[in-house]
Amino acid sequence: MSAGGLRVLIVEDEAFIALELECLLEEAGYIPVGVAARSGEAIALARDLAPDIALVDIHLADGPTGVAVAQALTARPGTTVLFTTANAKRVPPDFAGAAGIIAKPYSERVIRAALAYVDGRYHGGAPAEPPDGVVLAPRHHP
Amino acid sequence: MIGLDAPRQVGIGQAEMARHAADAPFLAAFRASEAPMVMTDPARPDNPIVFANDAFCRLTGYAAEDVLGRNCRFLQGPDTDPAAIAQVRDAVAQGESLRVDLLNYRKDGLPFWNAMTLSPVRDEAGSVRSYFAVLTDVTRTHRTERALMREKDALAQDLETRNRALQAALDQQTALLHEVDHRVKNNLQVISSLVLLKARRSRDAACRDVLRSMADRIGALATAHRLLYAVSDVARFDLRDFAADFAADLEAGIDPDRIALSVDVEAVAVPASMAAPLALLVHELAVNAVRHAFPGERHGRVAITARAEDASLILDIRDDGIGMPAQSENPEGFGRDLVGMLVRQLRGSLAVEDLNPGTHIHVVLPLETGR
Repeated sequence: MSAGGLRVLIVEDEAFIALELECLLEEAGYIPVGVAARSGEAIALARDLAPDIALVDIHLADGPTGVAVAQALTARPGTTVLFTTANAKRVPPDFAGAAGIIAKPYSERVIRAALAYVDGRYHGGAPAEPPDGVVLAPRHHP
Repeated sequence: MIGLDAPRQVGIGQAEMARHAADAPFLAAFRASEAPMVMTDPARPDNPIVFANDAFCRLTGYAAEDVLGRNCRFLQGPDTDPAAIAQVRDAVAQGESLRVDLLNYRKDGLPFWNAMTLSPVRDEAGSVRSYFAVLTDVTRTHRTERALMREKDALAQDLETRNRALQAALDQQTALLHEVDHRVKNNLQVISSLVLLKARRSRDAACRDVLRSMADRIGALATAHRLLYAVSDVARFDLRDFAADFAADLEAGIDPDRIALSVDVEAVAVPASMAAPLALLVHELAVNAVRHAFPGERHGRVAITARAEDASLILDIRDDGIGMPAQSENPEGFGRDLVGMLVRQLRGSLAVEDLNPGTHIHVVLPLETGR
């Protein structure tokens, strides 16, 4: 796995999901830079840490605020957002600037494949096939 | 009662008199008729009434002498439709007959609905000698119609209120379903994360394997659940969609140069109640074949097919591995126990065939529970 040390922010209010995701990211060669459970925290962390990728759940500890988080994070060039959600219907038609949706419950394979695709497409990594199990944004301009 | 003939009797000859005498029974019939009738003379100024029978007087409340010599317009009132009056005027001007509903007024001011037929009466030369009108009191019909109309409006309104209430209830149900669906999916992710976290922290390899295989089983259930409400038909589950996702997850865990996996699953609509046990069953059978038929560095092939036949789902898993009796790596045999339980739960049957080399597992599951 040639992840090239991309820095990933996890925006997730379920502690076990976030922790397992951190382990999985490390195992796959990424650098998890932080975990945020609320929208304000996520936006502040992204400002300070400037992650390459953010995995954003839609239902956070302060409500269905993941969409607003994606909008704020994608406003800064250089951060690619992927939603990880069990409620894809909440995602607006323009995906709020996100590159795609990983439907929960996901498998390790889908997370790895989605990150490899984003790495190849937006961050200079080796090109990878668009993964199944991920809904890509219709017209995504990084 | 007035005499229709009176004004015209002046200066007519004997023959005319004889004909009038012959017409006398008809005149008597008009006079006695229960149908209100009136006749006007367009040859005289303002087309006045020259004949009105008793039934007309009873309907309108006027005495014969009140109406004779007057134009019929005294029957009109404030709510008479001007368009209907215009229709009467036009018919008279054109010499045509007419059937029209008019709101007329009695002498005492009470309105009534008059369904009137108006006919021009012509002489031998074809010129209009008089107009003959038969009136019908249709006030009750109109009242009934209006009542029906009001009732219809009320029903429509009632229906709309009920529809709105039903829609609101449906919206609430849909929101609840989404909420429950969301929670179930999220909880499956939490459970899976918990088991995987424990697996990562276990120092013992066997313990790690057990936890990993439990996580895989939870993953199979999760895949089924993720696809369960993905389509509009919430009562059905497409086995092909499941197989595609499942095969990709399974393939990610094997070396494609060592084990070739082929999955050929028809688009079978499975009742949603079967989704979870069926997903687990497919998972157990496939994983058994992939994990236990090829010990060491042994190479081989695993083929999974599923199709619907009559009302059954036919599931075949073939491998060219070491064969069931030789598989000793699975001392607890938990996977095989699970398969047996799941087939029983799904009221199906399972047959194992030794392909020598390899194993063929043939499963038949009824698609409708028959209950």
